[in-house]
Amino acid sequence: MRSLISTLPRRIGTAVAVALLVAWSLGPIYWSLVTSLTPPLHLLGTPSLWPREITFEHYAKLVGATSVSQGNAVQSVWPQFSAALVNSLVTSGLATVVTVVIAAFGAYAFVRLEFPGRDLLFVAVVATLAIPAYTVMIPLYRLMISLKLIDTYTGITLIYVSAFLPLALWLMRSVYQAMPISLEEAAWLDGAGRIYTLVHIVLPLSAPGLIASAILTFLNAWGQFMVPLVFSPTLATKPLTVLIPEFVTRNYIDFGLMNAAGILAIIPPVLLVLFLNRYLVSGLMAGATK
Amino acid sequence: MSTSSPRRSRKPGELALAAALVVPIVVVMGGLVFWPLATSVLDSFYRIDPMRPGTPFVGLANYGSLLADANTRAAWLNTFAYVAMAVVLETIGGMGAALLLNRVKHGRQWLLAITVLPWCLPPVVNAIVWMWIFNPSYGLLNHALLWLGVIDARKVWFNDQATALFLVSLVHVWRMMPLTAVILLAALQSIPRDLYEAARLDGAGPIKSFRLVTLPLISSGLAIALSQSTVFAFNLFDEAWILSGSSLDTRSVIIQVYLTAFQNLRFSSGMALSILAMLASLMVSLIYVLRVYRETRYD
Repeated sequence: MRSLISTLPRRIGTAVAVALLVAWSLGPIYWSLVTSLTPPLHLLGTPSLWPREITFEHYAKLVGATSVSQGNAVQSVWPQFSAALVNSLVTSGLATVVTVVIAAFGAYAFVRLEFPGRDLLFVAVVATLAIPAYTVMIPLYRLMISLKLIDTYTGITLIYVSAFLPLALWLMRSVYQAMPISLEEAAWLDGAGRIYTLVHIVLPLSAPGLIASAILTFLNAWGQFMVPLVFSPTLATKPLTVLIPEFVTRNYIDFGLMNAAGILAIIPPVLLVLFLNRYLVSGLMAGATK
Repeated sequence: MSTSSPRRSRKPGELALAAALVVPIVVVMGGLVFWPLATSVLDSFYRIDPMRPGTPFVGLANYGSLLADANTRAAWLNTFAYVAMAVVLETIGGMGAALLLNRVKHGRQWLLAITVLPWCLPPVVNAIVWMWIFNPSYGLLNHALLWLGVIDARKVWFNDQATALFLVSLVHVWRMMPLTAVILLAALQSIPRDLYEAARLDGAGPIKSFRLVTLPLISSGLAIALSQSTVFAFNLFDEAWILSGSSLDTRSVIIQVYLTAFQNLRFSSGMALSILAMLASLMVSLIYVLRVYRETRYD
């Protein structure tokens, strides 16, 4: 076939480009994984792209084993690590549920119901996407102190909801807008009320949009650093993102431990990308192109 | 919030339902975003400092002292450097990735998943992973460059400000480029195929058809991607903070806000600076939107 030969350079070019993109995206994660499995002494030698010897001692240190390093007994960090892991899961989970519920019901009102100031309110809320979250951190800090919500799940969740609600609201509104109203009208003719129609017909049909909003909210909350740095001073609510960098400030920087902790911290996002990437990408695209 | 105005609504129940659905949004956004934003603006004209008694009105004094402060000026310059490098690299890289993804037919979903992955990870973890790569003694970067013969001795990368700024930007670009790629991919996919066919029949090569067909048709996507890159680079905090803490060489404006407010407890000065940062990032993204719109419209 002539075309096979004439397109060969193009095919090779594409293959090289794909390889570069994959290496760029996965290389650092692969290197972190290799580091987390390399014995501490080997980390101080010439790096090899393939671990010559695999060890789980960095992970063991995270989940409970007391170890000896440079002649000193090193206490396990499991008490802190497990608390931070729970905090990350609780705050991200709560933020996701609250955000998606408020957005799912609120966006419906913005699309299907008439009320005074509807469009103005929507524009105002979505416009806050362009305002950096850090702009309001200082007054928020004083507010949270006066409400005694510093270092509480409620406080952190509320801040996350206020930060991630506009995007979820925008996504859900575009989902409802794309939905033909005839389905709902059929239900109304059968005597179903607004709320019944919303819960039993609109929401199930909007599942992909709900999943996309949930994923985006969860990922944003899971990766948050500056908000908990200010609002989560103790292990009562401190998440992994704030705890892991603290491993640096010990007497030496334990890169094996930090990479192992990092690998554990990226498991939830990696699982989401592996299994729900379709929804994630559609959410990113919808959020960006409307 | 829900004062009824019966002239529009046909069913009074509808207004009550709308109020019930929207009140949580009004409460959360009003209480945690709009009200703090308003107080931020107002309080930036007062001296609010837990270490000093009273909160006198000081007019523009907070803003004035920010202009005079050498550290703040350095932070602004660093932030401009971050924005310039991040926006350029993310746009070029993101465009390349989007064009590639648009062309690949087999396994596109997998390539897309791999491309998007860095965006999904916590920025702190990204920064730690790269910090280990940049490590002066044991890092992969030094070893790789020594092995390739590019350098002849190990380098302490963060000793040189320009290199440090570039490396922090690189980590930021690694995380944010996927967003640009996805936005541009969505724009590329909306271009009808026959336009390229027509351009080819008119004798346009790949570069010419990219300039005459692709670019004008993805201009709104490009404007959004540029604005996103700008806003996120203006707000760079995590990467710089993890990689070199409060070091003045890599200090961004947001790090300066954090240090001013939460370590030196000069609240009103921090608020003034955060408002300037917000205005700057809004203005720059507005410029992009307008320029891209004007330059790529052929009517």
